[in-house]
Amino acid sequence: MSKPHYDREHHVKKATGIGDPQCFKGEAPAARFKVGDKVRIKDLPDLFYTRTQGYTRGAEGTISRLVYESPPAEDESWDNTENVEWFYSLVFDMQELWPNYPEAYAGDTVETEIPEHYLEAV
Amino acid sequence: MSSNDKEHLHPPAPVVDEVSDFEVLEIAVRELAIEKGLFTQEDHNQWTDYMHTLGPAPAARLVAKAWLDPEYKKVCVEDGVKASLDVGIDWVNTMPTKFGTPSDYCNLRVMEDTPTLKHVVVCTLCSCYPRPILGQSPEWYRTPNYRRRIVRWPRQVLAEFGLQLPEDVEIRVVDSNQKSRMIVLPVRPEGTEGWTEDQLAEIVTRDCLIGVAVPKPGVTANGKRPVRPAVNPYKH
Repeated sequence: MSKPHYDREHHVKKATGIGDPQCFKGEAPAARFKVGDKVRIKDLPDLFYTRTQGYTRGAEGTISRLVYESPPAEDESWDNTENVEWFYSLVFDMQELWPNYPEAYAGDTVETEIPEHYLEAV
Repeated sequence: MSSNDKEHLHPPAPVVDEVSDFEVLEIAVRELAIEKGLFTQEDHNQWTDYMHTLGPAPAARLVAKAWLDPEYKKVCVEDGVKASLDVGIDWVNTMPTKFGTPSDYCNLRVMEDTPTLKHVVVCTLCSCYPRPILGQSPEWYRTPNYRRRIVRWPRQVLAEFGLQLPEDVEIRVVDSNQKSRMIVLPVRPEGTEGWTEDQLAEIVTRDCLIGVAVPKPGVTANGKRPVRPAVNPYKH
């Protein structure tokens, strides 16, 4: 019986000399959102791993930049790099995220990056 | 022989008398990896040497250059990785692994402050930090205390760092949760007119680059610390 072969080096081979996330450039389908769009973060179920913070879920934010293309961390943590998508930098008002954030500082914001499949248009 | 003398006869306690579970785990995994041929002891030495000689000097240089050259500032904000090349940091090729580590991806964003907008960087989910250009993160940056409070009460936490911002300055907390790493490009302070790049780079300390401080003329990382007399000095 032959041993099953897992290619444990596919990411290393792909990223060496190019960089990550640069090595996924051009692999994502066309971006569904553009800078300035208002979006809401979906509260998707995650099995064991996510990098979409609890505090952003259900909140509305504004896209400030399309940052790069990459598989989402939720897939990549299981070595699945097939579903490359656009990542967006989003700006959230503090008052949208936290209860009782002082009115005097209504301009305070949080900026963070979220992959496309978490976003829905508002 | 008094009891006091007896205490002095004890052998000195070792500096580290206990190895933590995580250290045991790290050593075990490392030795297994070397035995299995995944990497060699030389690879490991090269990597630790690389990691421990990094520091914030290149990022301070980047900020000083951006203050002096508006064209370079545009490059910084558009493409931090490209801008880093001018201060001697190649995010892809200077790493011993040739593409960053799994936790240090190759995307740098330079967050530009304005007189009415102040950025401060955190990683609420773990402790992501732009190590290739800023070195190892300070201990407080990794603590749950800083990570969970700065996104919720940024003004109070910055005040604890000694940075009290007026109401007309908006705070933007940048949570580095994916593959980008961030540094802050602060506003060039008053009183630095006509300064050279070297002079400017000196006042851009690590804390200014994380965003918990603002650069001030005369405040440098290598400045002299004040020496204060002891309150109850020992009388000889």
